[in-house]
Amino acid sequence: MACKNEYSILIHKYLDEEMTLLEKKKLENHIIKCKDCEGHMRELRKTVAIVQSASHIEAPINFTESVMNKLPKETNTNRWKT
Amino acid sequence: MDAVVKKIIKEVKKGDQQAFSELVELYKDKVYQVAYRMLGNSHEAQDIAQEAFLRAYTNLDSYDVNRKFSTWLFRIATNLAIDRIRKKKPDFHLEDHVAGTEDLNYYSQIATEEELPEEQVVKFEMQEWVQKEIMMLPPKYRSAIILKYMEDLSLKEISEILKLPVATVKTRIHRGREALRKRLRDS
Repeated sequence: MACKNEYSILIHKYLDEEMTLLEKKKLENHIIKCKDCEGHMRELRKTVAIVQSASHIEAPINFTESVMNKLPKETNTNRWKT
Repeated sequence: MDAVVKKIIKEVKKGDQQAFSELVELYKDKVYQVAYRMLGNSHEAQDIAQEAFLRAYTNLDSYDVNRKFSTWLFRIATNLAIDRIRKKKPDFHLEDHVAGTEDLNYYSQIATEEELPEEQVVKFEMQEWVQKEIMMLPPKYRSAIILKYMEDLSLKEISEILKLPVATVKTRIHRGREALRKRLRDS
């Protein structure tokens, strides 16, 4: 597996969307022939897709109110908080 | 968006404390999400996210208005989360997020559309898997992966938030991806 490191770098470049056309061609040509690198790339793409599919999490209800209640009291204006 | 944020910040600096609530409203979900993904537990996430806003308020004078406010805010939040992780016992975060009540809180806070029960189960299992695996990552890879894939930020923005060269951010994302991939394959 002499190819591993060189192509591993290219695969990550691909995932970062930072490939030159030449590099892309090189990786494509290699992946057709090399099962290991093809599998590596497929697994990484799947991993990224799964992480990206994670739901967006929302702040709890009353979050803003709770933050506002904790702010240091205003010194010059009316003290509206308890 | 930037113009709106600038205007609000100006008002807060002039002493209008209530204007700050608009900033909280704008960014609360993003900040909470980073905190939750970093810490894996809703109680701590709320704690850290609130603290991030309080720090932002008290340090607003040190914010450079020519830079993106969200970058500055994310920096505060990630630093607080990383500090919290460091203070924890090493085994704490692995165990804690599995606990029954935390899971309930977690799921109740995820915004989901109504779905068929079996789809829900699959989704919950996947959600659980993602968060569990994220928690297994060392914090420095964890923050990079969360900012990149959950907050959808550019490498440049992440490098500003983490105050690291872009090349280092890339390395962390690469290693984080590889670690997740290996675990996905073994699971």
